[in-house]
Amino acid sequence: MRLHEYEAAKVFEAAGIKVPKHRVVQTPQEALDAAEEIGYPVMLKAQVLVGGRGLAGGIKIASNASELKELAGKMTGSEIKGVSVDKIMISEKANISNELYVAVTVDGYSGKPVVIASTEGGVNIEETARKTPEKIVSVHVDPQFGFYPFQARRLLRRLGLSNRLLLSCADVLVRLYKVFAQLEGIIVEINPLAVLENGELCAVDAVLEVDNSALKRIAQPLPNFLERIANSLERQGRRIGVTYVDLDGDIGIISSGAGLGMASMDIIGQKLRPANFLETGGGITEELLYKCMELIMMKEGIRGIFINVYGGINPIHEGAKGVVRYIKEHHLTIPIVAKALGNHQEETWETLQSGGVHVVTNVATEKAVERLVELVGVN
Amino acid sequence: MSILLDDSTWVLVQGITGNIGKTQTRWMLDYGTKIVGGITPGKGGTTVEGVPVFDSVGEAVRNTGATASVFFVPAPFVLDAFYETVDAGIKFIVIVPEHVPVHDVMRMRAYIKDKDVFTLGPTTPGILVPGKGKMGIMPASLFIPGRVGIISRSGTLSYEFAGILSEKNIGQSTVVGMGADPVVLTNLEDILKKFQDDDETDGVIVVGEVGGEQEEKAAVFIKNNMTKPVAAYIAGRFSPKGKRMGHAGAIVRGSAGTYQGKCKAFEEAGVYVLNSPIDVLDWAAKHRLN
Repeated sequence: MRLHEYEAAKVFEAAGIKVPKHRVVQTPQEALDAAEEIGYPVMLKAQVLVGGRGLAGGIKIASNASELKELAGKMTGSEIKGVSVDKIMISEKANISNELYVAVTVDGYSGKPVVIASTEGGVNIEETARKTPEKIVSVHVDPQFGFYPFQARRLLRRLGLSNRLLLSCADVLVRLYKVFAQLEGIIVEINPLAVLENGELCAVDAVLEVDNSALKRIAQPLPNFLERIANSLERQGRRIGVTYVDLDGDIGIISSGAGLGMASMDIIGQKLRPANFLETGGGITEELLYKCMELIMMKEGIRGIFINVYGGINPIHEGAKGVVRYIKEHHLTIPIVAKALGNHQEETWETLQSGGVHVVTNVATEKAVERLVELVGVN
Repeated sequence: MSILLDDSTWVLVQGITGNIGKTQTRWMLDYGTKIVGGITPGKGGTTVEGVPVFDSVGEAVRNTGATASVFFVPAPFVLDAFYETVDAGIKFIVIVPEHVPVHDVMRMRAYIKDKDVFTLGPTTPGILVPGKGKMGIMPASLFIPGRVGIISRSGTLSYEFAGILSEKNIGQSTVVGMGADPVVLTNLEDILKKFQDDDETDGVIVVGEVGGEQEEKAAVFIKNNMTKPVAAYIAGRFSPKGKRMGHAGAIVRGSAGTYQGKCKAFEEAGVYVLNSPIDVLDWAAKHRLN
């Protein structure tokens, strides 16, 4: 789960990392009140969870009340990369003399946390990584051992930092690692970590994503994950316990695994347009597949449904009952093609066929998709 | 020989008294797997499907001589069970559960760093050696014995590829799920090495997916170390791009992770890249793998 900048800033501040004075507002009037308190010039930062927010117009500077009123008026209710702006962070514009970059993330390949730092903070950090990788330093951390100030200092000396800046930056890194460890981070990042004119360090941006699998045990109050999902269908998917991704086509897909779901999408996508990606994971029950059918049909204009499931850990014969119950209760007449193999496959086929589902018994998904194409036609 | 699992593998089932543990124990036994014991703390002294249940892994190992273990333990308890299992001297561990916290997986990997333990998962269907045995949840009906090895990040796609081959009478030597999580306990190249060294495997299929850099690293290994033919499929060609936040991922992984990048890395390593799963039959025919 990704946290908004203002939520992450709160976590960083509690961990002892300095952040700019700020308020979160929802109307131009609230923005004016906040700026009155903070003092001009102020930054307006749209609280939307998208990458490249600044370049998409989500970050502005206002040097007086009339500028702020106009900018805040435009920003509230606008869309940044398709996400509507509900909250704006009004924050003090720091007097920055230099911008650093610091982050901790999970390196999937080595299976370790990795701490990253650079003296070239700012929006071009990825370009720096490509063109002058020597300006970025990183170190893998043994998660059993943790990350200590001496390791932070050793890392930062490689960037040429020394004296007071070395010590204060090492302090921020150690605190950032603590946030990463305690909140079970996938990524924590400060870009830029501003060196202020008075020499202090200040986290001018705050990125924090926590591990969804750990949400229940993280000891700090977190925002409600369901409310965080902007798309109502995707939110409903999460609510019933499946992964649903809303797409712009008209063929509904249900699969029992992420890989199979992606492959189904890839094969269907060559001739038809998938309406969604839906993956149940290992939790299939009659009730779950009933709800999956319900979820898929919430979208307008579905022309056909493709079900691709395996009975490994999943009782697909139970799931089939849910599919058929939905079909019968809703008098569904659009073509439904199912490929269901593995444990209890014969029983599953029989149930599905009783609901008018076209069952394909070949293994290759390609064959089942051919059948679907015959039934719905290419539009 | 198959890889990792053979007649001399004596298997424990952890979480054997849960619904999934019980059902899957029945199916593993039916397939010929040598299941010698189960573990559920507090349920020692009972039996499941005729298999004795123990309170601790150490007790189970002392009483049965088990060498391997498969987990059906709820995700929040996997870390504890894993430490216990490694401490008890088990050398091969398969972790089926999904949603194990990634920080736990990192700790588990650190814990076995210098120990001679081989692990699959989390979020793996496990391993199946056709006609001999299986640890995990792979549905037996899709597999037949033969000489093709399969490694898959996705569970369901490992069944799909084996099934496509079996329909045409092309058998498999060993089918391995490496686990679908962003951090898994064993990387792709370490499993490829097992297949390269296995004299009952003549060719290997790698089933990858977009994201991470397992495939790119494996491509380097294949180029430098593998003499057997390798085919690869990457799922997620048309997946919508995630809304990425922050830059750290890109800094660590560079350009790795995309469909195009993975295909290119494999092609440069001489791997036969499959446009669609069913194309695996062309590759198998080319190398006479039936």
